Amino acid sequence: VWTFAEWCQQSAIGEAVRHSLWAFPLVESVHLLGLALVGGAVLLVNLRLLGWILAGVPLADLARDAERALIGGLVIMLASGFVLFSSEAEKMYGNSAFRTKMLCLAAALLFTFTIHWRVVHSDEQRVSGVTRRLAAAISLLLWSGVGISGRAIGFF
Amino acid sequence: MTLLHACDWLAATRWSTSLRESTYAYPAVESVHVLTLCLFLGLTIAMDLRLTGVAFRRLPAREMVARLQPWIRPGFAVMALTGSLLFLANPTTTITHRAFQVKLVLLTIAGLNAAIFPRGVYRSPAHWATAAGPPLAARIAGGVSLAAWTGVVAAGRLIAYEFLRPVS
Repeated sequence: VWTFAEWCQQSAIGEAVRHSLWAFPLVESVHLLGLALVGGAVLLVNLRLLGWILAGVPLADLARDAERALIGGLVIMLASGFVLFSSEAEKMYGNSAFRTKMLCLAAALLFTFTIHWRVVHSDEQRVSGVTRRLAAAISLLLWSGVGISGRAIGFF
Repeated sequence: MTLLHACDWLAATRWSTSLRESTYAYPAVESVHVLTLCLFLGLTIAMDLRLTGVAFRRLPAREMVARLQPWIRPGFAVMALTGSLLFLANPTTTITHRAFQVKLVLLTIAGLNAAIFPRGVYRSPAHWATAAGPPLAARIAGGVSLAAWTGVVAAGRLIAYEFLRPVS
C-alpha cells in the first residue's frame, strides 16, 4: 500500500495538483458536490425504508432513480477523491482519519451493494419492518462514518 | 466603510473571539455545516431533478416536493445557523473574501428562485403529476436551483483558501 501511495504521489496527476493553486480547491468542490449527490440518494432511500418520507410511493420506483444518483455520485466522489489523495498520498498514508474513512467506505460500499440492495429490491410485503429499519440504520451509520472521518482528515 | 466597521466590532465581541479561538467548537460547527449538505442539498438536488424531469419521473411531483420540504427546511435552518456562526467567528476576513461575496450573490439567486417558484409553478402541478414532462417554468426553476447551489458549494469551499483574498 505504501508503494501505491508513493506511486500516486509521484504520478502526473499528483504532481499537477500539488503545484497548482486552483486545482486542489476546485477538485475539493467537485468532491463536495458528489457528497451532496451521494448523501441525498442515501438519505432518500433510507428515510423511505424507515417509513419517514414518501411512504405512499413504491420503494422500487424511488430506489431505481436514487440508485442512479448514488452511482453517479460515487463515480464523481471516487474520481475526485483519487485526485485529492494523489496530491498528498504519502501524508494520507499515515493519517488516522483517512484510514478510518477508507475502512468505513469499504464497509458502506459492501453493505450497500449486498444486504441493503437485497432489502430494497425484494418484495415489500416479504421483508419485515424490523429488517428494513435495521438495514436503513446500518447504512446511515456507515455512510455517516465516511462523511465524518472524511471531514476529520483536515484536522489531523 | 461602515460594513467593515460593523464586522470589526462583531469580531471583537466575546462570542466571536471564543468561537475563533476554540479548539473543538469551530471545527465542530464547520463539520456540521459541511455534512448537513447531504440533508439539505442532497434532497434539494433530488427535488430539482424531479422538477427538471431528469429523474424520479415515476413519482408524483407534487408529493415529492411536499414530502421533501419538511426535511429540506430544517436542513437549510442548520446550514444557515452554522454558516452564520462560521461568519461570526471571522467576520472581517470573510466579508472581504471574493469567494464569500460570490457565494452571497449566488445564495440570493437561489433564494429568489425558491421564493418565486411556488407562485409560478407549484400552484398547478396537478396536471403534470406523473409521467408527463414538467412545464417549462418547473424546468427553469429546477435548473436555476441546481446551477446556483453548485456555485454556492464551490464558492463556499474556496472561502477556506487564502490566495483568493485581496491583499489589504
